[in-house]
Amino acid sequence: MKLSNIKDSIKNFWKEFRQVKSGIIGLILFLIFLFAVVFEPLIISFKETNNVWRDITYWEDLPRNVPPAWTNLFTSRKSAESMEIDDPEITEQQNGNLRILTSEFTYDYQSYNPPQDIIFRADGTGSPMIIIEIVRPDDEKITLFQKPVNLGSGNDVRVSMDSNSKDAVYNFLSKKVPRSELQKINKNLLAPTDYLFSVASEDFIKNREPLNGIYKIKVTSIMQNEDANISDPYIVLPGSVYGLLGTDSYKRDLWSGVVAGVKWALLIGLLTAVVSVSIGVLYGVISAYLGGWKDSLMMRIFEVFVSTPLLPVLIVLAAVFKPSIWTLIFMMCAFFWTGSVKTVRSMALQIKEETFIEASKAAGASNLRIIFKHMVPLLIPYSFASMALFIPGAIVYEASISLLGLGDATIVTWGQILSDAYNSGAILSGIWWWVVPPGLCIALMGMAFAFIGFAADKILHPKLRTR
Amino acid sequence: MQNDKKRDVIFKIENLQKWFPVKRTMSEVFSGEKRFVKAVDGVSFDIMRGEIFGLVGESGCGKTTTGKLIMKLLDPTGGKIIFNGKDSTHLDKNDLKDYRERVQMIFQDPYASMNPRFRIKDVLEEVLIIHKKGNDKKERLEMVEKALSEVRLQPPHEYMERFPHMLSGGQRQRAATARSLILNPLMIVADEPVSMIDLSTRAEILHMMKTVQRELGLTYLYITHDLSTARYFTDKIAVMYLGKIVEMGTPDEVIDNPLHPYTQALISAVCEPIAGKVNRIKEVPIKGEVPNATDIPEGCRFHTRCPYTGEVCEKGEDPLIQDDGGEHFVACFKYKNLK
Amino acid sequence: MDKRKILEVKNLKVFYKTSMGDVRAVDNIDFFLRSGETLGLVGESGCGKTTTGTALLKMPSPPGYIAGGKIILDGEDIIPISETEIRKRIRWEKISMVFQGAMNCLTPVYTIGKLMMETLQTHRPMDKEKAKKIIVKYLNYVGLPDHIMSRYPHELSGGMKQRVVIATSLFLEPKVVICDEPTTALDVVVQAQIINLLKELKEKLNLSFIFITHDLATEAEVSDRIQVMYAGKIAEIGTNQQIYGEQGPMHPYTKRLLAATPRLHEEVEELAFIPGTPPDLIDPPRGCRFHLRCNEVMEKCKTEVPPLELVEEDHYVACWRCTKNAE
Repeated sequence: MKLSNIKDSIKNFWKEFRQVKSGIIGLILFLIFLFAVVFEPLIISFKETNNVWRDITYWEDLPRNVPPAWTNLFTSRKSAESMEIDDPEITEQQNGNLRILTSEFTYDYQSYNPPQDIIFRADGTGSPMIIIEIVRPDDEKITLFQKPVNLGSGNDVRVSMDSNSKDAVYNFLSKKVPRSELQKINKNLLAPTDYLFSVASEDFIKNREPLNGIYKIKVTSIMQNEDANISDPYIVLPGSVYGLLGTDSYKRDLWSGVVAGVKWALLIGLLTAVVSVSIGVLYGVISAYLGGWKDSLMMRIFEVFVSTPLLPVLIVLAAVFKPSIWTLIFMMCAFFWTGSVKTVRSMALQIKEETFIEASKAAGASNLRIIFKHMVPLLIPYSFASMALFIPGAIVYEASISLLGLGDATIVTWGQILSDAYNSGAILSGIWWWVVPPGLCIALMGMAFAFIGFAADKILHPKLRTR
Repeated sequence: MQNDKKRDVIFKIENLQKWFPVKRTMSEVFSGEKRFVKAVDGVSFDIMRGEIFGLVGESGCGKTTTGKLIMKLLDPTGGKIIFNGKDSTHLDKNDLKDYRERVQMIFQDPYASMNPRFRIKDVLEEVLIIHKKGNDKKERLEMVEKALSEVRLQPPHEYMERFPHMLSGGQRQRAATARSLILNPLMIVADEPVSMIDLSTRAEILHMMKTVQRELGLTYLYITHDLSTARYFTDKIAVMYLGKIVEMGTPDEVIDNPLHPYTQALISAVCEPIAGKVNRIKEVPIKGEVPNATDIPEGCRFHTRCPYTGEVCEKGEDPLIQDDGGEHFVACFKYKNLK
Repeated sequence: MDKRKILEVKNLKVFYKTSMGDVRAVDNIDFFLRSGETLGLVGESGCGKTTTGTALLKMPSPPGYIAGGKIILDGEDIIPISETEIRKRIRWEKISMVFQGAMNCLTPVYTIGKLMMETLQTHRPMDKEKAKKIIVKYLNYVGLPDHIMSRYPHELSGGMKQRVVIATSLFLEPKVVICDEPTTALDVVVQAQIINLLKELKEKLNLSFIFITHDLATEAEVSDRIQVMYAGKIAEIGTNQQIYGEQGPMHPYTKRLLAATPRLHEEVEELAFIPGTPPDLIDPPRGCRFHLRCNEVMEKCKTEVPPLELVEEDHYVACWRCTKNAE
């Protein structure tokens, strides 16, 4: 009986809800966000995003500050996409004690902007000698790296040309351009790939022209001892565009960050809204129901909370306590509940005067019974509507706390992404892909709930509909 | 003999008062003067077991406030309430619950008196839950069914699932009556139970209430502004004016032989469905309307509107209520001269 | 008898639009009002009496609409007249209304004088002094002193407010005044005072009243002729004598309604009542609308709608038992 009632009422509600267009939009947005939460592992490229957002080494093979890959569609000067080359031609040579392992990688460079780096990666043990050479389409051969690496009993080999071949490239340059030109560049700030993938000319430094064609990257490992070994070699070329939303200046994939932030936004929004509205409704109802000096006292306490500016308090508290998402939610609840109190109280004052309240009082009902069985249920429609309107507020608040750098450092939220962008001067340097997506998501989630809330409000307060 | 009589009185109020404080002006605050709306200002009456006692008066005379005082929805400013031989003026939590089990109320607007989100069965069951009657839901619903059939809502299960707005006015008032009966109370306070109900069904409800009263040996306090239904329905009538009872007696006595000038005026003003009155201007012996209860006239509180007022009425004390014989009481200095 | 008919209603239908279908609140009724008389409209709630009243002003409350018929006021059918014209020369000028509960709807922040002035000046632009004179004149008509003008509504008692409302309805010297339950919310003594006032005004200003109430006892004191309505139709129209006199009414509904009306000075052991509830007006029953609750029902009543027929002078009944053909 009861269940079918609920079914019926949901059906009726849906029937009415369908007619409110904005509600449908809100619902669709909400479902998209929900989808993102449920299928998060499937749609993001870095599964551990949540735990490693602040672990710089996790992101080191990604390009830095590059726009989304789809920006290539809008320009004729294509940027190199990030890629991995893991199918080298491997040749092995035994030379007495020495074992020489040569892996030759082929890279077909066809874009205008070169990749940001060339990173050699492999598993290895012992202390092999590693030599990395590049052969360009114009048959120039440059030795980029030549050093023994100490890997001990087993470790990753990671050799980044960006940091290790500045000297080699500088030497290459010095052969090509006049000394006067060469003085214009700082050896330490030089980006090797800029020149490795450009036509070698006297004009090298001023006007770089991309040198398209097949590049061969040859990695030779010379192992002296039995225990030295190199296996599974591959090369990473962090492009100059990346993924769906690009990367930030910590080389993090923003798409993964934004998607991983959805669940936190939902958690912060829903939990804060549900808890604070519940507290607010109860407080308002109880205050109205008790009346007299108790009501006055409760209202004064309420006013203290209302007139306390939340942000400074949060800043202080975040400084005192270790800022975690839970304390943040707790603090927001502790102040947000005031939002619904006034309205609820005035509604409850009206309900309190209804005869059926008097009737159940006359029947001997306890105060608790009257509050929870008679008054609160009548306020539920209002509660739901105001919850929906609280959610965007909570999300934005968390964002502004994070923007001040006081967010929870163990998770990734949209607010924190924005905060990092702000601190790195992303807006000034025009890194829009770092700022717009999380900002837009906050706006959209706020909108989703606001739309649902408005629609629910419209349905539940039919009298307001004409206005 | 003495004992028997005492047992017969089930409910007694003595000099009951309810004064509501009103907002004061600044000067009144400084002079320490307090003003009150004296809604109920010294009301006493006895109700016998199994009697229907009618409390009649115009709006603002304090009859509803008296009802609320009796229901303990308000605390009296002064006076005593004695129920079933026990002083019930101030009760602690447990005694109050006990009292409320024994004294039930029927409200003027049956629709407003039920939570619109409750089904009829929930409305009735709630009372049982509050007073912890019945062991389980099944038992309670059986009791609900029984109460509904007592008020002739037949068949009960057809009404139990409905919401209050799905019933007609008469059916709703029946359900409200069922709610007040379900705990087997000793007394029911009915505040204008039929004034919101259509004329064609009004008598039906009163009839039902009377039948139930006789079957279960209940006592009613019937609060109304309508002398005609009071005459039909009650065993005793008390007429209130400005917070005080001015006349009390059997309906026949009070209506056919009113002693107080106010009762006389009230009765002469009642419209009756009789031909030949349309071309006459009706004699209305009293002028104006009921004065404000913050500012009750000195002396007899009716003297400002009384056609027979004299010096004795305008100064000093209120006239005390006195027996004219034959259980007919009146509070007037001059009633003997008026006859 | 020679008095002319100031208002004649023919085949009037007023329906309310709902999602379930039209509510036939007033369904094909004919009646008339003579100059200088009071016609009482009685019936239970929902019988269509207030709907009839507002329809006569051509302002049925939405979602109601006039679905057909004629309202001939002072020799002119007002149904085809445009809304602007109605406002200009019919409403309040020829026919006005005292709405139910209007006394509780006076704007609390204006004085009575200002409230009345506003009504008057919207219809008849005139200078303040002249308007004041008219207001004072009408306030005196309804038995209120001049100084009431400077009072606020909350300072007045219920009876006084009702008098103010009545005075306001009389400003433009209408020929017909409709009073919708003007005494219901008032105390008995004040009720009697208002009834007396209406009677005096009728004499003094030669007004015609339509007096709407649910209470047959009040009608007996006020109305020259009584029109009993049931479920959107007229059951019976008769003079005061015909309805309340020795002979009594003829329609079973009127008979039983009268029997259910308590009388103060008559000892009754048991009041009569009418079992059941009025029918659903979206889908009214076939035949006579009262047949489901009637104790004198015949086979014919269940299938054929009884017409409103003249059975004796000024006495119309819509009942198969009372028509001449049936006898």
